[in-house]
Amino acid sequence: MILRVKDLKKFYGVKAAVDGIGFEVEKGEIFAILGPNGAGKTTTLKCITGLRKKDSGEIELNGTFTYLPEEKKLYPHLRVKEIVDLFEKIGKNFNEKNCLEILERYRIDLNEKVTNLSHGMRTILYLSLVLSENVDLYILDEPTWGLDPIVRNEILDHIRSLTFEGKSVLYTSHVLAEVEKIADRVAIMKEGKIILTGNLDDIKSSYGLVVSKKDLNGYLLKTLKSGEKVYLVEKEEIPEGVEIEDATFEDIFEAIVRGERNDR
Amino acid sequence: MWFRIDFHSSKPIYEQIKEKIKLLILSGKLKEGEFVPSIRYLAEDLGVNLNTVARAYRELVREGVLEVRRGEGYVVSKVNLEKIRTQLETELKKKIEDCKKAGIPLERILKVAEEIYRGDAR
Repeated sequence: MILRVKDLKKFYGVKAAVDGIGFEVEKGEIFAILGPNGAGKTTTLKCITGLRKKDSGEIELNGTFTYLPEEKKLYPHLRVKEIVDLFEKIGKNFNEKNCLEILERYRIDLNEKVTNLSHGMRTILYLSLVLSENVDLYILDEPTWGLDPIVRNEILDHIRSLTFEGKSVLYTSHVLAEVEKIADRVAIMKEGKIILTGNLDDIKSSYGLVVSKKDLNGYLLKTLKSGEKVYLVEKEEIPEGVEIEDATFEDIFEAIVRGERNDR
Repeated sequence: MWFRIDFHSSKPIYEQIKEKIKLLILSGKLKEGEFVPSIRYLAEDLGVNLNTVARAYRELVREGVLEVRRGEGYVVSKVNLEKIRTQLETELKKKIEDCKKAGIPLERILKVAEEIYRGDAR
């Protein structure tokens, strides 16, 4: 276990941005936190990295970490080369050669000023720095922000390859398709709480969709023109003989986040 | 060894890997005693996580489809082809039930089956 978070709370004024969450990240694992905007994902990462002071709870980190923030700002008036030099000094076990290789692959000019880079280029620059550090845990907040699909897939492959060396990854995203490709386990956050967590493959196989005229024990996915309703139901709770439609992760996410639950 | 993984399918990824490997064995493309790719190589080639391939292999070992050669990797066991066939038949049964519900007459299903099998013999 590389990271353990227990009953973490963080208030902004009276509002709980993070409201008593807990999870663990194992060695060699990719753990994704997802959820709608304002769910508390970024605040959670900031509490773990120490950028925000937690109000209560426990955070146990067994190893070194690095952090890619949500806002890929960097120093706008420095040149790319100057930023790389800076990381050479302050980065954790920074591998400059590796960083320069990534920049070259994506044709980022070392003499260019950060401010002149596009959003996507800035994300790549920041990723090239963070991924060239040699640490135990990579904490990445929206690592594929602004990237085109091809580059995004390459970056996802790169992130995955970190685990081949026993590294762990904790990251946030609101792109479900991306999470499905890369996460071993997920936690879905809403309003500061974790509303569903588990192994992604297990989550997928434990839910099904049932169309019903009556109210069912489950989450409402949608109401049909006929007035019938489509419910997301745990397969264990579906009586035999009832027809089950497959639920995609998107269905599960949507129904659970919307959270219109019917308990008979 | 390569096959497509459908990441958006409701079918778990490790299940997809298991199924594809079983089909490769049934069709004779993977033979008894043959090595399958290492967990890492298959993970890289398919673009899936190590843990996912490890889980698929672990379950295939438990089901007697693969076996571990210490320090070398995984090989195809002396597989009980009959067992895998029975699983496939169960799936076929479900599909045929769907067809029945959809009102497809038996004759048409038999015709499709015949076409497929004859095409095979050619």
